[in-house]
Amino acid sequence: MSGVIIRRPWAPRLLRTAVLGAASLLLLIYVLAPVAWLLSSSLQQERELTSIPPHWIPDHPTLQNFRAIFATGLGYAQPSANGVDPTSGGFIPSVAANLLPAMGNSFIVAFAVVVLNLLIGVPAAYAIAKIRFRFRNAALYTILATRVIPDIALVVPFFLMVRKLGLLDSLTSLIITYLAVTVPFSVFVLASFFEQLPDDLDRAARVDGCSRLQVLTRVFLPLARPALVAVGLFAFLASWNEFLLALMFTQTAASQTLPIVVAGITSDFTVSFSFLNAAGVLAVVPPVILAVMFERYIVSGLTAGAVKG
Amino acid sequence: MRADRLLARSSLSRRAVLSGGAAALALPFVPRAQAAEPINFATWSAAVDQVKAHLAAFTAKNGVDVAYSNSPFAQYRETMITKFTGGAPVDMLWVSDSWLPEFAQAGWLAPIDSFKNLTAYNAGTSDFCNQSMMYDGKQYGLTYYTDYMGFLYNADILAQAGFTKPPESWDEVTSMASAIKAKGLLDYPVVFGMAQESWMIEFISAMVYSHGGRLIDDAGTAVLQDGKSGAVSTLNWLVDAVGKHKILSPGCVTTGELEVLKTASAGKAAFVLLPKYRLRVLNDPAQSSVAGKFRQALMPMGAGGSHSTVGWMRFYGMTPRAVANAERGQNTAKLIEWFGGKADGDYRFQKTVLKDLALGFGVKALYDDAEVRASLGSYGDVDLMAQQQTLAHKKDTIAPWFGEWNDSFGTAWQQAITGKTSVEAALKLSATKWAELKKAG
Repeated sequence: MSGVIIRRPWAPRLLRTAVLGAASLLLLIYVLAPVAWLLSSSLQQERELTSIPPHWIPDHPTLQNFRAIFATGLGYAQPSANGVDPTSGGFIPSVAANLLPAMGNSFIVAFAVVVLNLLIGVPAAYAIAKIRFRFRNAALYTILATRVIPDIALVVPFFLMVRKLGLLDSLTSLIITYLAVTVPFSVFVLASFFEQLPDDLDRAARVDGCSRLQVLTRVFLPLARPALVAVGLFAFLASWNEFLLALMFTQTAASQTLPIVVAGITSDFTVSFSFLNAAGVLAVVPPVILAVMFERYIVSGLTAGAVKG
Repeated sequence: MRADRLLARSSLSRRAVLSGGAAALALPFVPRAQAAEPINFATWSAAVDQVKAHLAAFTAKNGVDVAYSNSPFAQYRETMITKFTGGAPVDMLWVSDSWLPEFAQAGWLAPIDSFKNLTAYNAGTSDFCNQSMMYDGKQYGLTYYTDYMGFLYNADILAQAGFTKPPESWDEVTSMASAIKAKGLLDYPVVFGMAQESWMIEFISAMVYSHGGRLIDDAGTAVLQDGKSGAVSTLNWLVDAVGKHKILSPGCVTTGELEVLKTASAGKAAFVLLPKYRLRVLNDPAQSSVAGKFRQALMPMGAGGSHSTVGWMRFYGMTPRAVANAERGQNTAKLIEWFGGKADGDYRFQKTVLKDLALGFGVKALYDDAEVRASLGSYGDVDLMAQQQTLAHKKDTIAPWFGEWNDSFGTAWQQAITGKTSVEAALKLSATKWAELKKAG
């Protein structure tokens, strides 16, 4: 039996392709233009950056901002007590030297929050999804309800708690408070994912002699990789970008995270847009790398449990 | 056996192990305990290197440790309020004159009148500086830095338009800007920042003072709606500059101080109002495409006005926590003097931040200092800078309700500038709001 191929007229097809192409291009420009400008301006001298019209491609590209960040003592303002006159190129802010340590702090905090999120969130979500106990739903909704409270309302109570514990100006204060913010979301996403997995898997493993912990680690965790990645990435990004709590609990370069140091750049008298954008480039690199690495897991992980069959 | 008994006595519960483990995990992140508690000094994130270097010299000389912390300026007030509310240890801090009534009323600042080593500096300090640190008859600090709103102009653009001298009055600003526009040199020769930000009140106050007026009188009553107050003629000038003469862009209501600076350094402004210390940036070849072309002039006069401008103050304040302990109080006062007064017989910190960052100072005698003159003279007219400083006045709007009033005041002025409301209505609204807030206390 020969099939009948119905060909649509070429003109509408061409038009559709053209419209889709144009729309895609517009969307691409809309999304990528700020990133391109961030990168371009970070490579420009302040004088060129403020020129009108702006230069998308630098006439005289320079790495002076990145050099100032990476090579301590190169190109940024030093106290005159050190005998270095900062009048030439003195617009590099004095907190430039704090950017890399701040990145390190951000990374330690974000990494610890991811690990602890998974350690706390996975068993909690598994229990809520697969173990029948009284007030199971109430437990889930209570955990979720904690996220209804805006962060600003938590600042003073958190501050008092952190101060009483003697944790002001420490990374531990950030890790503890970020967990309070991220764990509810992790539990919710993971519980939704575990609920999707058939109960028979759980029962079969139990019949085969697995303990609850073994069921979780040997059966469910390997299947939950997309959800784990999504939750981990969420926790990482939330911690990496968090500003308000870090602002209140950190005081010195020893504990300040990247958003605080970057915000501090605008406080200085030597505000340099090009340097600020170089700091911005540094700030977006780790999240972008992570997003690219785990891109295929993110959507499936976040949409898990979103549609009930 | 003794060892057995020790082991038996030290048998650990599971809870003890867990809490011990948690403590061990947290150990690397917890700040180390100090042998003696240092003076806790909080600032916003500015001049960080200079502050650190000067602190190190203080500790080396006096043997007093200082715990220095900083946070971004935009969130500094909120951060300090949280710290005070939460009982965080703070002994000394940077304070803006705008927050003085609020902080003093809340009991977060202690007067320094009893520290004669600090008040001794008042005689040699500009009047507006001393007045900016006073509240309810008491003095609350010593100058960190001070500056005033300067009228700056691009001499090259003026020369191209055929002008050899800067404007003396606001009418001349209008006519010269119109001429520059007519010659096609710039679309908007006047670039002022009227965005809702902390600088707006300073831009407006400078213009009102130069129109011979006040926003608030000495009795704390709003007078800006009064036709003779200078605020009416100032707002009328701004409205006409945007709507009638088109020498000032209507976009000024979304233009902040930084945008004014960057626009001027791109050569796209003939006349700007900026803090005086920005003159160095404008004349720095690394940061400005019009380096060497920007000059300062005395603030133009309005009809019946003068060359007056507004000055502001950022100062070192001391907390009640510091003065509660005599030794801590003395050490804190010593540290305030080290920064805000003389260190080793010289105004070292003032000179450092002037040379490094172009920051202004309140000590009048420094305008005669050779080092200072050399530094200021590399980008401006030192005598004119000094003359303008003698004509600077403190902001008259500082009150505990300033923050709340400033929001509605700024919105009212913006609406008048963009033609959405009349000058009279905007000023009446601002005055009414002030009276309401004053009544509410």
